[in-house]
Amino acid sequence: MQVLGIPVENGRRALCWKLLLNYLPPSRLAWDEALDGQRCAYRRFVREMVVRPGGAAGGSAAARVDVTEHDHPLSDQPNSQWQTFFKDNDVLGQIDKDVRRLCPDISFFQQPTEFPCQEVVCGDYHERLHERVQRVYLDSASVCRVGLGMQTKVDAKRRQQEHDYVALPGGQEAHWEVVERILFIYAKLNPGQSYVQGMNEIVGPIYYTFASNPDARWREHAEADTFGVFTNLMSEIRDFFIKTLDDSHSGINFRLRLLMERLHHHDPHLAVRLKVQQLYPQYFAFRWMTLLLSQEFTLPDVIRIWDSLFADEKRFDFLTEVCCAMMIQVREQLMSGDFAHNMKLLQNYPPLEIRTVLAKAEWLLSR
Amino acid sequence: MSYAYLFKYIIIGDTGVGKSCLLLQFTDKRFQPVHDLTIGVEFGARMITIDGKQVKLQIWDTAGQEAFRSITRSYYRGAAGALLVYDITRRDTFNHLTTWLEDARQHSNSNMVIMLIGNKSDLESRRDVKREEGEAFAREHGLIFMETSAKTAANVEEAFINTAKEIYEKIQEGVFDINNEANGIKLGPQHSPAAAGGMAAGGLGGSQGGGCC
Ligand SMILES: Nc1nc2c(ncn2[C@@H]2O[C@H](COP(=O)(O)OP(=O)(O)OP(=O)(O)O)[C@@H](O)[C@H]2O)c(=O)[nH]1
Ligand SMILES: [Mg+2]
Repeated sequence: MQVLGIPVENGRRALCWKLLLNYLPPSRLAWDEALDGQRCAYRRFVREMVVRPGGAAGGSAAARVDVTEHDHPLSDQPNSQWQTFFKDNDVLGQIDKDVRRLCPDISFFQQPTEFPCQEVVCGDYHERLHERVQRVYLDSASVCRVGLGMQTKVDAKRRQQEHDYVALPGGQEAHWEVVERILFIYAKLNPGQSYVQGMNEIVGPIYYTFASNPDARWREHAEADTFGVFTNLMSEIRDFFIKTLDDSHSGINFRLRLLMERLHHHDPHLAVRLKVQQLYPQYFAFRWMTLLLSQEFTLPDVIRIWDSLFADEKRFDFLTEVCCAMMIQVREQLMSGDFAHNMKLLQNYPPLEIRTVLAKAEWLLSR
Repeated sequence: MSYAYLFKYIIIGDTGVGKSCLLLQFTDKRFQPVHDLTIGVEFGARMITIDGKQVKLQIWDTAGQEAFRSITRSYYRGAAGALLVYDITRRDTFNHLTTWLEDARQHSNSNMVIMLIGNKSDLESRRDVKREEGEAFAREHGLIFMETSAKTAANVEEAFINTAKEIYEKIQEGVFDINNEANGIKLGPQHSPAAAGGMAAGGLGGSQGGGCC
């Protein structure tokens, strides 16, 4: 599997990822219960954090209407349950910008999902996440203007998006909105770390894989399943995102040092060359490893690489070898190029045949 | 192609203000409407001419998000110039300038030339920060100032080149110690310190940084 990749047929890849990342228990008999539990939990998070932010008590329609009447988002009361809501909006503003920049080379994320979150798109008393962001921008803009005593009127056009990641009209949701919700809930549940840029690049391929599962029964739950798998994956790589300059075993600096040690083991001339040129792994391999190569290749190639990374039992040892293979594949250029040339080569990795790179990595792993 | 000097730059500022787009416009003369957000750093290089001399710019474009701040800090040392960028359509990016400046001053060498840039000047209808405010901030903190557009390329060339001119002048005045690489300045391969300020000769570049970008 590591070498050949996982066949897509019948959603086998999506299934394998769920197993490999421990979202599904190994025993098939336990699947239904596990799935039910995790999907239910996710639905609850959506209800608590997205549909009724602030965690109002009571679930009846009447209670909810009441809440919005007396404690609405524009209320300035310090005890307003919307306080947290406003704090969240900083994070949300960031996520919103980033998910709208997701995989622009394919049109998938701009398209509507067949399975929008019903509670979100059909409710009439609350806003969708991206609308929250919009309103807050308008508010802060007018506040600032008042503060400076300027008379400019708020330009209605200012929030108009220039790109195609537009929000779809009522009853519909684009895929990027779904991803926005997943990231927002993850950030809420992990306040210490919150949202760090790059997480969007990690969640993207997972969601894409699940939401394009040929089997509609799986596809329907793509959102909840993505959230679960993403959370599990993040628990393995979260240190790449937090302690970015930490040397602990799980930290990225340790990983980068290990990478150069492995390169030296495989190809000492190349390793010395990079060292002499002061081409430190921090400059290029930081992104490679933190994002599991998701910014270096096209989406199909990234997904293919992830088959192998997830299948790696000693997770991410194989990633190290893939990175070594990438450098060795372009060694002729690296040996003759100057610093600037090499830097650009490694930061804009050429579109090589991914199978060759993975085969090379496999071979290196055995050495 | 050979060079007389090599200057190292760093580009800093909030996420989404257009740092990577500015770099791309300067090095490749193109605009990419949806640019990947920067994780870690991105690198660019270009040759320019100042006072008849070839000057090579090596530019480090950093990630704007707070979470990456500690990485960004490690790039200040060894930079001769910094472009501090905000987005004229987003006041929050302007409000954060003080923090950026404190960071820059604390972690860089004291002679680093800082250029303040108000980017996205093509979006006049959405302007949220007046040009005068940018000018005032720059004056107050002793920075050079320009408004640019990475989209239309307006002033992009000038922003990078004027920064280099300022560094060059400081070298002429003897403010920069050009023999200390930590200042972000290097003499060209065939350019001995004694000959600094003399003619930039042609010939093959050295192994590092010699070739054209
Ligand atoms: N209209 C207009 N848009 C711009 C300009 N410069 C950048 N943009 C847009 O702003 C967005 C962000 O640009 P980037 O260059 O990626 O921003 P950045 O500062 O590098 O962001 P980080 O890498 O996250 O720190 C992109 O979608 C660009 O299309 C400009 O001059 N005019
Ligand atoms: Mg950038």
